[in-house]
Amino acid sequence: MATLRTLMDDGPIAINLGIREFAESIRAQDRKAVHVDWSPPPPVDEETRSLLDELL
Amino acid sequence: MSACGVAIRKNRYFDSVFLMAVARRLSDQPGIEDAAAVMGSPANKEILARMGVAEKDLEEAGPNDLVVALQGESEAVRELTESIEEWLVRPKGELAGTTAISFDDALSRQTDSNLAVISVPGEYAAREADTALDRGMNVFLFSDHVAAEDEVALKRKALDAGLIVMGPDCGTAIIGGVGIGFANAVRSGSVGAVSASGTGLQEFTCLVHRAGSGISHAFGTGTRDLADPVGGLSTLTAVAALEEDPATSVIAVISKPPGKTTLRRIVERLNSCRKPVAACFLGLAPDSKPDGARFEICSTLDDLAAASLRLAGGGSGGGPSLSADQLAVLATAEVDRMAAGQRFVRGLFAGGTFCYQSQQVMRESGIIAYSNAPLPGMRVLRDPHRSVENTLLDMGADEFTVATPHPMIDAHQRCNRIRAEARDADVAVLLLDIILGYNASSDPAGDLVEALVEAKRSAEQGGRHLSVAASVCGTDRDPQQLEKQEQILREIGAIVFATSTQASSFARDILLRRMEVPS
Repeated sequence: MATLRTLMDDGPIAINLGIREFAESIRAQDRKAVHVDWSPPPPVDEETRSLLDELL
Repeated sequence: MSACGVAIRKNRYFDSVFLMAVARRLSDQPGIEDAAAVMGSPANKEILARMGVAEKDLEEAGPNDLVVALQGESEAVRELTESIEEWLVRPKGELAGTTAISFDDALSRQTDSNLAVISVPGEYAAREADTALDRGMNVFLFSDHVAAEDEVALKRKALDAGLIVMGPDCGTAIIGGVGIGFANAVRSGSVGAVSASGTGLQEFTCLVHRAGSGISHAFGTGTRDLADPVGGLSTLTAVAALEEDPATSVIAVISKPPGKTTLRRIVERLNSCRKPVAACFLGLAPDSKPDGARFEICSTLDDLAAASLRLAGGGSGGGPSLSADQLAVLATAEVDRMAAGQRFVRGLFAGGTFCYQSQQVMRESGIIAYSNAPLPGMRVLRDPHRSVENTLLDMGADEFTVATPHPMIDAHQRCNRIRAEARDADVAVLLLDIILGYNASSDPAGDLVEALVEAKRSAEQGGRHLSVAASVCGTDRDPQQLEKQEQILREIGAIVFATSTQASSFARDILLRRMEVPS
């Protein structure tokens, strides 16, 4: 588990979701970044969503 | 005859920056007049409908589906629509082998991860940020359109876990010398910063670097952090962290005007800070300046950089600056070459903070301007696509950037606007900011050259001299290189200033002189 303090002490070690270039620019500064091949969750109705939230 | 073609790809997601680049490349193809590549959200479908795409062609597309729409000559549209897959291939980048299929997959590959950088569409962003906090990670949340109640919930959760949420709508941060998002490459040093304003933080960190000093950590907090519903939760967290940080000797706070309650809360906290503090609440009306502040309050980013450096025991300047007299001499020389009717400024800003700061400079001299993001005392520009008298425009605002790249990435819209302003015989001076750094255009000054040359030429043909005042926010360490970018602008006759405040002051001096001339 990280904290803000460990982020400041160790520098960013990143997981990137969304714009791929953000991960690339961190890597260009010799820091680690893993890019997640993100896509939106499939649409679900509210009832299913709350059931899923309860389960998870 | 003009034709319209639509290609839909079910369950194919691409990020907005990639899609905007695809649309840009497609619209540059022979025979193509307009192109859009977007996810099929209701908002994007509305934009496509306004572009002239028939609603029935979009019926099948949902939020998880990619839609590419093309307008132009029928043969060109048909060919490109059929070969659309070729345009969706990403160039092989450095990331080969480092792409994960989910957040937890990423975490299993990199167990020491301490920061989630999130720029997914706003409606999904809070959920992803919440997951990151659950996994014990700090969050840099670039996404906007996140509900205020979600922002508060995320920030409270982070606070309880000893973490920070930078954002939503956070454009930049520098942590331990590493730039996140749209950050500039600056030297490490002892100046810490906390900012609710992205380009404000970029300008500040650049000025500190250019004065020979450096940054310990610079936290973005998101544009809404100091609004009363959020109450400065991330600002307070960052201030506390910098107060404890051995590498930080002085703390600078940057924001547009905070909410009234939050301003009192922030002042109280900064008053009790054990380290020297300087703050700049840009655009704060003179009669709303906080009472009882026992730290330095500066009215511009330039003054804030100078104060921070002084408090840190270093130099006293935020970069090479011109005196009021030097600015006046420059302005007089420009005014002498102008035609009688030229009397207005058109500020076309990529950075919202620069637009704000420019309005403040004008307001202090009693000059009224129209803006799509007006400060108190300024006028609302009803149609952001048509300037009126003095106009200072934030071209990074939503009305310019829905399904279109931000002007820091793509200058297309700004170039069109430069050309349009130059055709107006009343315009005396164009005021521009050029923003360098990671993830910005690889040649932001070069992108504007053709339009600026045309603008100056068309004014000349009309018997006018169009003055161009520009400032470059960047450093010698940025990928685009400050000096090279400034030189590009000088070569086409722009007057380049060290800071946005100075460029605005120069434009103001021109306007004040033009007010004295009967038109």
